Amino acid sequence: MRFQYVFSEIANGLRRNLTMTVAVVITVSISIALFGTGLLIRAQSEATKGYWYDKVEISVFMCNAYSVGANCAGGEVTDVERDTVRETLEAHPEVSEVFHETQEEAYERFTEPLDDPVAEVITPDQLQEAFRVALVDPDEYDGVVSAVAGLPGVQNVHDQREVLGPLFRLLSGFQVGAIVVAVIQVIAAALLIANTIRLAAFNRRRETGIMRLVGASNFYIQLPFILEAAIAGLIGSILGCVAVFALHEVAVSRLLAPNFTFTAWVDRGDVWMMVPWLLLTGVIISAFASFITLRRYLRV
Amino acid sequence: MIRFDNVTKVYPTQSGPALESLTMEVERGEFLFLVGPSGSGKSTFLRLVLKEERPTSGRIRVAGKDLHRLSNWKVPHLRRRIGTVFQDFRLLPNKTVFENVAFALQVIGKPRRQIARDVPAVLDLVGLDGKQDRMPDQLSGGEQQRVAVARAFVNRPLILLADEPTGNLDPATSVGIMKLLDRINRTGTTVVMATHDQSIVDQMRKRVIQLEDGRLVRDQSRGVYGYTR
Ligand SMILES: Nc1ncnc2c1ncn2[C@@H]1O[C@H](COP(=O)(O)OP(=O)(O)OP(=O)(O)O)[C@@H](O)[C@H]1O
Ligand SMILES: [Mg+2]
Repeated sequence: MRFQYVFSEIANGLRRNLTMTVAVVITVSISIALFGTGLLIRAQSEATKGYWYDKVEISVFMCNAYSVGANCAGGEVTDVERDTVRETLEAHPEVSEVFHETQEEAYERFTEPLDDPVAEVITPDQLQEAFRVALVDPDEYDGVVSAVAGLPGVQNVHDQREVLGPLFRLLSGFQVGAIVVAVIQVIAAALLIANTIRLAAFNRRRETGIMRLVGASNFYIQLPFILEAAIAGLIGSILGCVAVFALHEVAVSRLLAPNFTFTAWVDRGDVWMMVPWLLLTGVIISAFASFITLRRYLRV
Repeated sequence: MIRFDNVTKVYPTQSGPALESLTMEVERGEFLFLVGPSGSGKSTFLRLVLKEERPTSGRIRVAGKDLHRLSNWKVPHLRRRIGTVFQDFRLLPNKTVFENVAFALQVIGKPRRQIARDVPAVLDLVGLDGKQDRMPDQLSGGEQQRVAVARAFVNRPLILLADEPTGNLDPATSVGIMKLLDRINRTGTTVVMATHDQSIVDQMRKRVIQLEDGRLVRDQSRGVYGYTR
């Protein structure tokens, strides 16, 4: 194999089809940028879930003197009722830890933010004492909730996943949307590459015709075209990766992370983890699209 | 060297066959003229030998290989043993004479050392020494055809196929090309040449096969052109 020939052919080809090559580079970079954004959103929702999962707990609120509801018919929770709830929780296999919060402790927590005018009109007996329950597996909250929800003295059971659910659904929606757009872009890129390569094969039909005639192998005839597409694809994917890094820097590092510190954010390391996949996708799509095209247009 | 057994070729878009029940054999080292009116199937014959086309029925053997059983990826190896020359030269306009001939060796992966040795030798053989750095458009038609012959012969093929190689040349230049093909034939290379050139066929006195509407109508050793257009 004479690599010098192959490389000079690639250089010539890239130069001759400059406009189409540029079009391929741009399309690939846009598809890869979108694909990367999809992956970024995916990584972000994983990070968000991971962060919040550790903090998810179930709050079991007990009846106070003012409570209404079927389990609170006896008024304020009694010591017996409280012990039953505690024992039920501690015996449950999905429960890892149980904290008890008295009305006074709830009041302290409530009045902690100073200068709250509401705090001045509220008294400890208006608040509810509660058990805060950490779970072994945050996904398995159903069993714990139903185990204590019906006990006497329990006013209601509050599960934080209900609050986070819509957020997770939104993140999943973003994730799917980004991937769908990326896939459409990737298909568009593949079609454009196929067209470019067809044009390149047509422009060079004189050379390839002679090559066939003197007995060059198919591989040898097709290699310059495939490498040409792969190089254009690689340049496009590198630009796409740069776009993803830029997006991460602007949107996450500068805008979101400093302002919303209560949750976890994807960092640059996560973006670096995506780079090999993005480059591989861009190069393989380009090479594969040109390979398929050449099978049809440069037959023996 | 080339053997056709009851070969018929019908192009998909065509009603009648381009070649019909053709049976013939070309021995190693022979020089064969294919003659016949336009559309009689001469180029089709040459394309079948190269396996650029497949016969509709019948068997073809070339250089000891049954083309029917030759897998696609081995076709390039068959073509390395066959040189081909056309009426329109088919040179690469952006390459010099040397590069045009070297191209044929480069693309089949021959080492640089062999290229540096064989290309000047074959240019010498075809009478183009001293012109190796010219571009094709700086050459006469006859010289361009010599480059094409050099390219076809540089890998020392067993068979040289020529499809009307003198079709674009004046009679004097044609004679020069014929002398060259004769010299190549004398090195042991089998030559098959399709032509409309009556005076050349009559002068050379080689074997002549005449086709008409795809059928073999005459096979004559030391023959003449034999019919008037
Ligand atoms: N690719 C093709 N598709 C369909 N028909 C074809 C094709 N090539 C040749 N033919 C037909 O096959 C017949 C034989 O053609 P061929 O080119 O072999 O003739 P020829 O003897 O070389 O003619 P000429 O002397 O004009 O070159 C003709 O009728 C032609 O129209
Ligand atoms: Mg013809």
